[in-house]
Amino acid sequence: MKRILENIKIAFNSIALNKLRSFLTMLGIIIGVGSVIAVTSIGSAAEASITENIQSVGSNVITITPGRERPFSGGSERESFREVQRESDESRTGNSRPAEEPGQGPGTGGGGFIGGVPMIEEEEEEEIVAGELYLEDVSALKEKSGLLENIAPVLTLGNLNFSYGSSSGNVSVTATSEEYPSLSGYEIDMGSFFTELDVLNATSVVVLGYDVVTDYFGKINPIGEEVKINGEKFIVMGTLKSAGYTFGMSADNSIFIPVTTAQNKLYGADTISQITAKVKSEDFMDAAIIEAKSILREQHSILPGEPNDFEISSSEQLLEMATSVTDTLVITLASIAAISLLVGGIGIMNIMFVSVTERTREIGIRKAIGAKNRDILIQFLTESTVLSLSGGTAGIGLACLITWIINTFTTLSSLITISPVIIALAFSTIIGLLFGIFPAMRAARLSPIESLRYE
Amino acid sequence: MKKEIILTKEITKIYKVGDIKVNALRGINLEINEGEFVSIMGPSGSGKSTLMNILGCLDKPTSGFYYLDGINVMDLNDNQLAEIRNKKVGFVFQTFNLLPRLNIIGNVELPLIYSRREQSRARKDLINEVINSVGLAEWIKHKPGELSGGQRQRVAIARALINNPAIIMADEPTGNLDSRTGEEIMAIFQELNRSGKTIIFVTHEIEIARHSGRIIYLRDGILCGEELVKEPVDACKMLENMPKLEDKINNFSNNNSNVI
Repeated sequence: MKRILENIKIAFNSIALNKLRSFLTMLGIIIGVGSVIAVTSIGSAAEASITENIQSVGSNVITITPGRERPFSGGSERESFREVQRESDESRTGNSRPAEEPGQGPGTGGGGFIGGVPMIEEEEEEEIVAGELYLEDVSALKEKSGLLENIAPVLTLGNLNFSYGSSSGNVSVTATSEEYPSLSGYEIDMGSFFTELDVLNATSVVVLGYDVVTDYFGKINPIGEEVKINGEKFIVMGTLKSAGYTFGMSADNSIFIPVTTAQNKLYGADTISQITAKVKSEDFMDAAIIEAKSILREQHSILPGEPNDFEISSSEQLLEMATSVTDTLVITLASIAAISLLVGGIGIMNIMFVSVTERTREIGIRKAIGAKNRDILIQFLTESTVLSLSGGTAGIGLACLITWIINTFTTLSSLITISPVIIALAFSTIIGLLFGIFPAMRAARLSPIESLRYE
Repeated sequence: MKKEIILTKEITKIYKVGDIKVNALRGINLEINEGEFVSIMGPSGSGKSTLMNILGCLDKPTSGFYYLDGINVMDLNDNQLAEIRNKKVGFVFQTFNLLPRLNIIGNVELPLIYSRREQSRARKDLINEVINSVGLAEWIKHKPGELSGGQRQRVAIARALINNPAIIMADEPTGNLDSRTGEEIMAIFQELNRSGKTIIFVTHEIEIARHSGRIIYLRDGILCGEELVKEPVDACKMLENMPKLEDKINNFSNNNSNVI
């Protein structure tokens, strides 16, 4: 124990003797460790923020969008793949699903394939054809579904010209129904959201997002004021509280109008962009999706075996997708940062070789008075490890600084967790040992007589 | 019956310098008994330093046998040699070979660190005792760079003594010192010899060699003769007769102040 302390003391003395050189050597490790920790903690903060955003909407929300033809490349290849997939499905679940495309395509897959095909989620392999959604679909779902509630049509109109008095600009216009606030979690600030009656009668009323109110009205109470959207007159009925950002988008710069009014006055068609609905309980997610599917297939008169012309996705899937995207990003960035750790390690090896050469005489003296090869090896390994570990510790400090800056200047609240810190310290120890071993071995093998002669 | 502490048989040492082989030693037969004070003399290039390095287990002979305190050194590996250097032999160099970054305590302590003896309180006392014995008690916190040549050599001797070895070996220990300081170092060696240590040292100055009991002459890698010194020079007496430089200078400055 005393000897380890002795070696650590020697190491610190030697580092202190070459302060600038040691600092420059450590810099590689400092930057490496600092960026690895910072990237992982900022990444997990971003992930937490996205998860929170999605969960604030509710993880039991499903979204139905009109079918869009999926771009596939090779026709026959795809057919054979689908064929194999279906066979394997059948072998897996019995005959749960009716054959969608009875025996078509030239290349019906060979039986040998079956075992090798990876299991793919049902949603991903389902074929979709182009289609549209209408308000009637919403009515049908409301009428027949037992598992869904708060079913709302959504028609996104994009950025339209908005004017109040003399000021005008572009705002994002969303047309929907009275169910929307309970789905989105938006809260009314002043006035009220439009009602079922407004939707039925297609009245020209509008609910304004938080930023729109502050930008166009300032301190004036907007309720009852007349605004123009693409030249059409609307009366402000209510305003929303600030909702923050989701995926970098904000409802604060949006305005909301009844879907029927939008179709009549601004859109000129009777289709809608999507249907959003809540499942009564998270336990029934799958059942609710199946139920919605069969209702819409009936509504769209799709024959058995023909593909859907709409798509249903749940917020759970959205969450999974978002998480996997941020995970990939964090892993990529952290790997790049890890490369700088490697470069830092090479720097340590370099400086340790220099140190061994500089101290050849010292090694000779130590050996002459009884130091064994192992003693010299441990002395230099300790030095490289102390160098690397000090760099790692300073790197943690750097990471704290970076996350503090990020937390101060952005809305993210990243927190350095203990696991990347431990990993970083372990990693810098390993780097010190790994890259210190060759210089230390060279030092240990020096012959005492030759090193004493070294000038 | 005196015990042989060093016994060599036909020791040779061949260096390879590029393609040329240099026969530094060509068959050395040497016997040294416990408690002897032996000096090895020879001109430059006679192989005396090479012989000293081999006797001190810093280097291995090319052929021959070497028994140190009954141990066949030829059979030992690097680690076992290191242990011999640590415990059985104390080596003193011409150029002192102290570690410049450690203070005197650190330098003297060094062999203890490698001997793996754990006895913290006793260890401190031992270090202080040894430093006292070479007369450096007031300098323990100083680094070698702050000391004179004679003081540095005393530190080196203290370091050689710390593990209480049976043999002290010195390679031209007075070579870098003025005659008075050299005499002081020899006085320490003579005192150590009186207390029972075997001392072997290399020198090319006959006046220094005359402090020992036996002088071995070396030439071209062969022992060419030896001489028993009937009445070795007593370094302490020599010192009494030698004028002290400081006294002279003090006299001058006193006189000067009188003149002014």
